[in-house]
Amino acid sequence: MEETSLRKRREDEKSIQSNEPKSTNLQKEVGLVSGICIIVGTIIGSGIFISPKSVLSNTEAVGPCLIIWATCGVLATLGALCFAELGTMITKSGGEYPYLMEAFGPIPAYLFSWTSLFVIKPTSFAIICLSFSEYVSAPFYSGCKPPELVVKCLAAAAILLITTVNALSVRLGSYVQNLFTAAKLVIVAIIIISGLVLLAQGNTKNFENSFEGSKLTVGAISLAFYNGLWAYDGWNQLNYITEELKNPFRNLPLAIVIGIPLVTGCYILMNVSYFTVMTTTELLQSQAVAVTFGDRVLYPASWVVPLFVAFSTIGAANGTCFTAGRLVYVAGREGHMLKLLSYISVKRLTPAPAIIFYGIIAIIYIIPGNINSLVNYFSFTAWFFYGLTVLGLIVMRFTRKDLERPIKVPIVIPILVTLVSIFLVLAPIISEPAMEYLYCVIFILSGLLFYFPFVHYKSGWAQKISNPVTMYLQMLMEVVPPEDDPK
Amino acid sequence: MAEDEGRGGSLALRPKGGYTNNGFVQSEDSPSTVAPADCSLPVLAPPAALDLGQPYAGMPKEVLLQFSGRTCYRLPRELLFWLTVASVLALTAATAATIVLSPRCLDWWQDGPMYQIYPRSFRDSDGDGDGDLPGVLEKLDYLASLHVKTLWLTSFYKSPLKDFRHGVEDFREVDPMFGTMRDFEDLVAAVHDRGLKLIMDFIPNHTSDRHAWFQLSRNRTGKYSSYYIWHNCTQDGGTVPPNNWLSVYGNSSWHFDPVRNQCYFHQFTSQQPDLNFRSPHVQEEMSDILRFWLSKGVDGFSLNSVKFLLEAQHLRDEPQVYRNQSPDTVTQYSELYHDFTTTQVGLHDLVRSFRQTLDQQSREPGRYRFLGTEASGESVDSTMMYYGQPFVQEADFPFNSLLSSLDTPSGGQVSHAIMTWLQNMPEGKWPNWMTGSPEQARISSRLGKEYVNLMNLLVFTLPGTPITYYGEEIGMGDTEAISLNETYDKSTLFAKAPMQWDNSSNAGFSGGVQAWLPPADDYLTVNVDAQKMQPGSALRFYQELGQLRAGELLLSRGWFCPVVAQGPSVAFVRELPGMDRALLVVGHFGEPTTLNLQALVPGLPAHVRVRLSTSPAMQGQKVDTAAIPLTLGVGLLLDYATSTLLHRDPALSHSCFMASHACYSPMLGILHRSC
Repeated sequence: MEETSLRKRREDEKSIQSNEPKSTNLQKEVGLVSGICIIVGTIIGSGIFISPKSVLSNTEAVGPCLIIWATCGVLATLGALCFAELGTMITKSGGEYPYLMEAFGPIPAYLFSWTSLFVIKPTSFAIICLSFSEYVSAPFYSGCKPPELVVKCLAAAAILLITTVNALSVRLGSYVQNLFTAAKLVIVAIIIISGLVLLAQGNTKNFENSFEGSKLTVGAISLAFYNGLWAYDGWNQLNYITEELKNPFRNLPLAIVIGIPLVTGCYILMNVSYFTVMTTTELLQSQAVAVTFGDRVLYPASWVVPLFVAFSTIGAANGTCFTAGRLVYVAGREGHMLKLLSYISVKRLTPAPAIIFYGIIAIIYIIPGNINSLVNYFSFTAWFFYGLTVLGLIVMRFTRKDLERPIKVPIVIPILVTLVSIFLVLAPIISEPAMEYLYCVIFILSGLLFYFPFVHYKSGWAQKISNPVTMYLQMLMEVVPPEDDPK
Repeated sequence: MAEDEGRGGSLALRPKGGYTNNGFVQSEDSPSTVAPADCSLPVLAPPAALDLGQPYAGMPKEVLLQFSGRTCYRLPRELLFWLTVASVLALTAATAATIVLSPRCLDWWQDGPMYQIYPRSFRDSDGDGDGDLPGVLEKLDYLASLHVKTLWLTSFYKSPLKDFRHGVEDFREVDPMFGTMRDFEDLVAAVHDRGLKLIMDFIPNHTSDRHAWFQLSRNRTGKYSSYYIWHNCTQDGGTVPPNNWLSVYGNSSWHFDPVRNQCYFHQFTSQQPDLNFRSPHVQEEMSDILRFWLSKGVDGFSLNSVKFLLEAQHLRDEPQVYRNQSPDTVTQYSELYHDFTTTQVGLHDLVRSFRQTLDQQSREPGRYRFLGTEASGESVDSTMMYYGQPFVQEADFPFNSLLSSLDTPSGGQVSHAIMTWLQNMPEGKWPNWMTGSPEQARISSRLGKEYVNLMNLLVFTLPGTPITYYGEEIGMGDTEAISLNETYDKSTLFAKAPMQWDNSSNAGFSGGVQAWLPPADDYLTVNVDAQKMQPGSALRFYQELGQLRAGELLLSRGWFCPVVAQGPSVAFVRELPGMDRALLVVGHFGEPTTLNLQALVPGLPAHVRVRLSTSPAMQGQKVDTAAIPLTLGVGLLLDYATSTLLHRDPALSHSCFMASHACYSPMLGILHRSC
């Protein structure tokens, strides 16, 4: 045993040494395919398999439902195109963060990272892992809900595992991503193809008079849009890792232009498939739509559906971990979070502290009872920051005319996206006003309490505490500040 | 924050993962043998020869690698890494272990009470005097407020009026009286939207003589000619039945049909010809009908008149009960032993095949389809047969009418009914308790008004699914059936009075001029509206019971141990290993007295709190367990702390019962089987 481990050590050493010439920085390891996989992999989570009914429940008819799915896809693509302009203009990782920084200065950027780091990203990571483990344990508890203990233990294990993988190696993380995205596309393809076969066999009953019975009020349509666009959330994922893209000027826009329409197509065709075997009422009442579909169409092989949906969910979790880790990293680099968080592992070349930090926060979030309501109330902030970022794009057209823009979208697009964002922020608040939204705003602004003493004035005593800690953790994790800091 | 950071370190290990950079470390460490492995001090002087400075926050790679390999950093790093790996494994193992040790969880039909609705009398939405499906839909919020889980709709198939819609004219149609198929679909959707379930009657034994099958069978059209049971019965120009078999309502069960020139068999009225279940076509038709309703989203069926499904093919005469009676005068159903017309060999195969049809539609998660069998008037042994065998499932449960057919209020009889079911039920099966049905007088008329709350208390605290017939939650009484333009056996109408919603005309049941049956006289005071507001009312008590049962593990999963089974009182304990408390239920049928439970229940404290009582005055009070004051119809639910488990007590264990073994782990808050 000793011997083999020794040999292994040598090999490891060699491989480390072969890495040696590279500078200690995040490497450009994400190509076009991986980029598309990240987009597709994070957008398509478990939602389309389990409850693709939020749109239908508001339109109540097949025709408008499909139209709204398509329109949402177009809107998401437009939003992503704006982000493509931003991403190729300011080639820094971290999504909205560097763009807000460039357009509006540090405070909005800081508040964005504050909210994202402590609430939005870790809760969504935690929720995805929780739904993964709920999904995995459900078959063992037919007829009732799995005990919380089971769900939480498994979710914690998933978070630890994903965090470990991503802290160990960028390449491993993106291989995992590609693998699970492939699995996801397999089950999407199975559902779509079997749906098309059924359609060709003449199962078109549910498409007849597909506009009948729809309630097309403004309120219902806007709610349908609101829910539909959530299904496309994640279209800006690639902007979080711009610095790690190979040839970002080509690959970033290309991945967006291929990835999001691909997702749109999948969504529409999957809905069509569902409608070939389910009436609208059945679809609205199914507890797991894809499983119902699998049971009716694929039996006796219907077990493939839950299996692949589990893969899909864990793939989405990996995707968010992969990208959100970069946000922590960038914020740390700018001094908006502890510097340590921007450090890079000497030997693994991963932003290990950032990813580990993210994992810890996510684990903390799965411990209390139910974080779903927290997530719901914070959801409007996501569109607030999207809107602000795209507004920043418009602003920079005037303030930063000199910046080189390899891609320049027509100005109507960002204006449209900004308007849609304003609508999406206000829609839930107006339709169901609640004090909780106010608490969310207060939480966001409370970030400033930390900003002024620690970031703006860089008070000395804070440094006195953080320096020895940073040093020790550096030693412990073997991480150092990135070389040739782009700043 | 600082704490997070600390933990951050812990995860940090993993980047180092399987790589031990011992190579590095040792080579660099060896020169520095002078330096002790003391790393707590950042000021630690590095070996002068290397002169790479001291470690500091934000140090670059060159400096870092000087020190990071030291044991004092490497060791915690590796330790933490392996700890992370170990915790992933441990968490996964804990998950797997919990899953393995979890008892089977309760399905929806075990989880909450069922509520049986006679749709013609529940709520009339269109003012024609007859209750209908939109009326049920209208009252779903009320039903949800009762904490019931399952609605059970009795027959609403398209059918002529004979025998209360039990002669079906079209199994795939809703009778126009109740609405349309669209109304039914809306009802199912609304029921499911509220997280409730809906089951319906299924009456396979016979059809109406107006059913298309019967018309085709009369004409001997193709496969339909064998859909019913036909026999030659003409002799010398007259009609002579093939044997002495009698219909349930009296007289010969053979009826001559001039069209086919043969007699057909009917167990019930002559307008309800029996289907021939020996024909594979009929069996197939019935499975199709089940599938038809399942595809509408129905969650299960109550299988009616099951024991009549098959008859002996040899057509031998059934033996007389009174040997000396002249065969010509034998016309009453009770005067024969029905050895050849009920519960024939092959009957359970049919039930199994119904179950299989339901199973095919039960595969989706959360979509289990329930099958119950109505088996009134059968012996306990043959009733229990419907539970099926360990390897072949039949009904989830046969409906238990032991309590709903109880005529006299008596503690001993109630105990007997309870124990009869529990002791005869096959192991691992699930009991159920009905307090009423369309065919039996209501509690307040059958036992007395005083017993309404007590009976509700009992069925909600016994192990198994409580089944409530509509109106019992407010203590409705029987109606005096007066003017009827339909031909009914009036004795079957008593329990079918319109639901009493409020004190307006027709008891709020119908906005029309006249309800099909007049509401019972007491509707001015006994109605939902009045009782909703009135503390201590039957309705409020019922709602409290529903809430209690929904949240109380002792009631849904606990052991049942009877402690008083004779005399005017009933008392039993519900307990669960691992739970530090137990529930004691006491009910009293008879004159006021005091009961000493101290002697009968080991571990019972001298004074315990009354958690729920049928008499509002006692609620929340402490009672002396050596002398519990009991009055007529009083029922108490006592909640007390204890560590004594009665079912482990050799004196009591033989009469204790549990449906599926489970223990509670207070530390983890879960149920497990390892006990």
